[in-house]
Amino acid sequence: MNASTITLHVPQRSKIAGRMDFFQMASGVLLILFLWAHMLLVSSVILSPSLMNGIAWFFEATYMAQIGGPAIFVLMVVHFILAARKMPFKQDEWKTFRVHARMLQHKDTTMWLVQVISAILILVLGAVHMFVVLTDLPITAAKSAARIQSGWLYLYLVLLPMAELHVGVGFYRIGVKYGFVGRSKRKWFQKTENVMMIGFITIGLLTLVRFMLLNIQG
Amino acid sequence: MQIHHTDVLCIGAGLAGERVAVEAAMAGLNTIMLSLVPPRRSHSSAAQGGMQAALGNAIMGDGDSPDVHFADTVKGSDWGCDQEVARIFADTAPIVMREVAHWGVPWNRVVPGKHTYYKGGKPFEAEEKAEKAGLIHARAFGGTAKWRTCYTADGTGRSVLNTLDTKCLQYGVTVHDRMQAEALIHDGETCLGCIARCLRTGELVAYLATSTLIATGGYGRIYKATTNAVICDGGGQIIALDTGLVPMGNMEAVQFHPTGTVPTDILVTEGCRGDGGTLLDVNLYRFMPDYEPDKSELASRDVVSRRMTEHMRKGLGVKSPYGDHLWLDIRHLGEKHITTKLREVYDICTNFLGVNPIHQLIPVRPTHHYSMGGVRTNRDGAAYGLKGLFSAGESACWDMHGFNRLGGNSLAETVVAGRYIGKRMVEYTKGATPSFGMQYVDDAHKKVQERITDIVTGRKGKENAFKIRDEMHDIMMECVGIFRNGKDLQKAVNKLEELYDRSQKICLSSTCKGMNPELSTALRIRGMVKLAQCTAYGALMRTESRGAHTREDFPERNDKDWLNRTLAYWKEGASMPTLEYEEASPYYELPPGDRGYGGGVTIPNELPPEKFVIPEAAKENLKKAKL
Amino acid sequence: MNRMLTLNIFRYNPLDPDSTPRMQTFTVQEYDSMTLFIALTQIRDEKDPTLKVDFCCRAGICGSCAMVINGRPGLACHTQTKDLPAEITLHPLPFFQLLGDLSVDTGSWFRKTGLQIEAWCHSDDKAFDPTAEEMRMDNDLANEIFELDRCIECGCCMAACGTARMRTDFLGAVSIMRVARFYLDPRDKRSEDDYYEVIGNDQGVFGCMGLLACEDVCPKGIPLQDQLGIMRRMMAMHSVKGVLPRPLIETIKKKGCCHAHAQS
Ligand SMILES: Cc1cc2nc3c(=O)[nH]c(=O)nc-3n(C[C@H](O)[C@H](O)[C@H](O)COP(=O)(O)OP(=O)(O)OC[C@H]3O[C@@H](n4cnc5c(N)ncnc54)[C@H](O)[C@@H]3O)c2cc1C
Ligand code: HEM
Ligand code: SF4
Ligand code: SF4
Ligand code: FES
Repeated sequence: MNASTITLHVPQRSKIAGRMDFFQMASGVLLILFLWAHMLLVSSVILSPSLMNGIAWFFEATYMAQIGGPAIFVLMVVHFILAARKMPFKQDEWKTFRVHARMLQHKDTTMWLVQVISAILILVLGAVHMFVVLTDLPITAAKSAARIQSGWLYLYLVLLPMAELHVGVGFYRIGVKYGFVGRSKRKWFQKTENVMMIGFITIGLLTLVRFMLLNIQG
Repeated sequence: MQIHHTDVLCIGAGLAGERVAVEAAMAGLNTIMLSLVPPRRSHSSAAQGGMQAALGNAIMGDGDSPDVHFADTVKGSDWGCDQEVARIFADTAPIVMREVAHWGVPWNRVVPGKHTYYKGGKPFEAEEKAEKAGLIHARAFGGTAKWRTCYTADGTGRSVLNTLDTKCLQYGVTVHDRMQAEALIHDGETCLGCIARCLRTGELVAYLATSTLIATGGYGRIYKATTNAVICDGGGQIIALDTGLVPMGNMEAVQFHPTGTVPTDILVTEGCRGDGGTLLDVNLYRFMPDYEPDKSELASRDVVSRRMTEHMRKGLGVKSPYGDHLWLDIRHLGEKHITTKLREVYDICTNFLGVNPIHQLIPVRPTHHYSMGGVRTNRDGAAYGLKGLFSAGESACWDMHGFNRLGGNSLAETVVAGRYIGKRMVEYTKGATPSFGMQYVDDAHKKVQERITDIVTGRKGKENAFKIRDEMHDIMMECVGIFRNGKDLQKAVNKLEELYDRSQKICLSSTCKGMNPELSTALRIRGMVKLAQCTAYGALMRTESRGAHTREDFPERNDKDWLNRTLAYWKEGASMPTLEYEEASPYYELPPGDRGYGGGVTIPNELPPEKFVIPEAAKENLKKAKL
Repeated sequence: MNRMLTLNIFRYNPLDPDSTPRMQTFTVQEYDSMTLFIALTQIRDEKDPTLKVDFCCRAGICGSCAMVINGRPGLACHTQTKDLPAEITLHPLPFFQLLGDLSVDTGSWFRKTGLQIEAWCHSDDKAFDPTAEEMRMDNDLANEIFELDRCIECGCCMAACGTARMRTDFLGAVSIMRVARFYLDPRDKRSEDDYYEVIGNDQGVFGCMGLLACEDVCPKGIPLQDQLGIMRRMMAMHSVKGVLPRPLIETIKKKGCCHAHAQS
């Protein structure tokens, strides 16, 4: 507390901006790790539904699903709040950015728009998805297959590429923004990221196909 | 009309202007700096080579001292310089280089150990001393006994200008960019400031100042082919000459460079020829050996330029939409050499000419490069003819260059003169009690306004500014180039007289609310023709060859009659300049002699012995300058 | 070669109430070695002398002539027509105040921003001793500093930055790079905390969204990406001192690109 804390006439030294940026990045990293883990869990159904059931059972037995699930949701919300500071919510910002992206025809710039749009979709679809899954524990391959076959497929067909795109671009961006990836490695990193993105989307689609073909009655 | 008051007004924000502004602002004076462009865009930024100062840290500069630098400078000037000034320059240059280092210039530094360097294209080894590690390094430049050119990679002008500009920011120098000085305000004795035209709005603005500095750089744009920037139109020299009171010094002393590229006249270094590059004509014939059997392309700058011009006059130049040129061939040096040792050349060719010098020929022609002449000042930078008016940098004839400046000396001059003259200006400003009679402001304003009205309405005539400019360019290139003779110069003088008359009758071909760029050109042309005339007329009258001024009809340096400096006045209402002459130097610390290069005969002068004695006052002043 | 070039040029005079923004078309005969500088000068000399466009050095070294060339910010004098299609569209740089046609006011912005980030060496100028030797410096460090001093303030990076266009108070890659230049310089006595105060905020390093258009358009090839990364990491790590364990902070600091020759 000092004389300027009320009127803010004299700017205060504060570390808050740096911390928010760091935690935006950190929450992003955690979510990336989660998504990869999540992908491995779910895609295990391709190999065999019982493998997936086993992993799911492990998560529940250790209460990781019951606690981890909501925690991820909270993380997502925290991440949203931090990242949304950058989003063009004002109409003129949105318009400026779009006009700009069209003028420049520059991949990284356009990809940021993709990130913003995918973010909104993930927020809505991801929340719905989480709510449905976490209110209907335990997770089993059969229940998931039933959901997917009963029309939830379309939600996943949108959520999957959106999440992967968002995470992929986010991963790349953390690398360059924080200088973990320098000028000399940028091209290589872009390529690696693209390969990973396509890989994950493919695995995700295969998983969905597997769920569609899974015999629920059996 | 808006009126600004200030203690110090710097017209020009290149290295010279900024250095003076920093000095004034650090002394607590109110300082305003005007510039056509944001300060960091000034043409000083284009100088890549470096600045000479006898620091003697580099092994190839071992044993260097201000004395050696002084001697090189005086010889370079062909004894045309003011030796008191050259002395101040040589002795304070090392201090100034250290000072800007203190402020942040990232000079290249000595790296101890063995290094491979190049001289005349040949590699050799030298070992830098361990005790000099981390001190300011130096590279070679033409015409010097020692390597003493301080540099920052290939961007010396850029980095020093950046640093000075940061100091201007720090010390609160007010910058008004896109502001073009159009006339000085004066009462016949004292300069009171200037009238400027805002290049954003087209409005006229008055600046009233206790002291005014002209640091507007060169005026190379009186030539068609020049390495100078588009804005180097001599605006500062023009407003000084327009007063009728302030003379221009040695305007005929103009330096050319043999290898300016076509079409945009960007320089490629002499290293190309040094390393074995050859010059070819339209038939791809190597012509230099015919003219100079011994040295061919390696003859001095002047000689090569002259032969090139001569050869093109024979119709053997290559025709192009941008005018005649010749070819520079470096293909045989090979890809490796070109992309490493001549990388700058490679970049310029590929980026600006679309020519790949590994496989293609480079179009070149002799090109105007530097003007030694300018606003004549005394030792302290005070202009002749008006109190309170100063000048520094390329716009001035402070006169350390005489008839030929050495590479690396002009960039150094800007900051060295800036510091020294800045201090003198601060002294003057603090001691002055100016009175600003408003009638003088009105007079100056009215004159500028009337000219603008003349041009906009076309009530004096219907001449086209671009056309006059082009005709001036042609005649200057043709007749007032590197090699001069009475006949051509007379032709130029006549033509320029005619152009001067026509330049009073310019009329705009366009209309445009606010700022009209055509008006900017139109306003400048008359003055440029004046500067061109001072150059041509001075050259015509100087019937000798000295430094860069080379008369085919008077090949010898004539110390008997011409050991002097031309002062060109342009009296009110006159159609021609009036020439006067003054002694080249108040005394000759280094007696006139042979330069040791360039050859040529000298007609000697019998100077009285007291001319070789350094006066006590000069010694005192020098001591003060080093503080 | 020797095509007829069509130049569509943005025209607008903000000082003229009757002027409306429009595109005007000029045709120019192309020659060998032609740059946009030559083409535009020709148009101004021969066709329309009212065309506002800034040229100075015409050698890519002063930064005057930046404009949007077929959608991309770049230097007109540094652009050869042979590298462009026969139809060329020219706009003034966005982000900066428009003075007319292709001319924008970059100078005022750079000056204002320079003051804001205190872009000068914070050393004791009064302590300069004209008789003393200069402070010694490693040549590699000098080169590394100069690498960042090569910026010509053309403004291309700002015009290409989506963040800057949305948030006009964003300092941009060029300012962050400029701060890095002083951060590197041992003559500048500012502490990490002082630098944090200048760029450790959403107008500074944390505002950047990593779009890297700045890096991709910079005509001088200034290492903007690396400087943005280094400074962001430094500043972020500075802000979490006391929050995260020190060894973790030190590890993260050293990951990725760094100032190779910085002292201390
Ligand atoms: C391509 C090239 C390379 C060079 N390389 C070297 C080198 O390596 N070493 C060396 O020693 N020298 C070199 N020189 C010469 C040296 O660069 C110049 O002599 C020196 O930079 C001039 O500095 P200045 O401050 O006097 O003028 P400039 O830097 O030209 O500045 C002039 C200032 O005046 C302003 N101005 C002009 N007219 C007006 C007006 N009417 N109203 C208001 N403001 C006005 C301009 O906007 C500008 O700010 C080189 C020159 C060229 C052209
Ligand atoms: C809840 C909805 C979400 C919203 C609104 C959202 C929004 C955003 C936005 C706008 C950005 C860009 C920020 C910037 O450029 O600075 C971003 C970055 C990122 N997002 Fe999300 N996101 C959401 C969910 C997710 C999820 C679920 C994941 C991963 C599983 C994720 C991973 C990332 C990553 C890794 C980044 C890069 C982090 C950074 O740039 O600092 N996001 N997010
Ligand atoms: S960083 Fe590059 S693009 Fe930006 S102003 Fe400097 S030179 Fe121009
Ligand atoms: S990386 Fe992107 S957001 Fe950051 S400064 Fe460059 S263009 Fe702007
Ligand atoms: S005119 Fe100087 S950069 Fe183009």
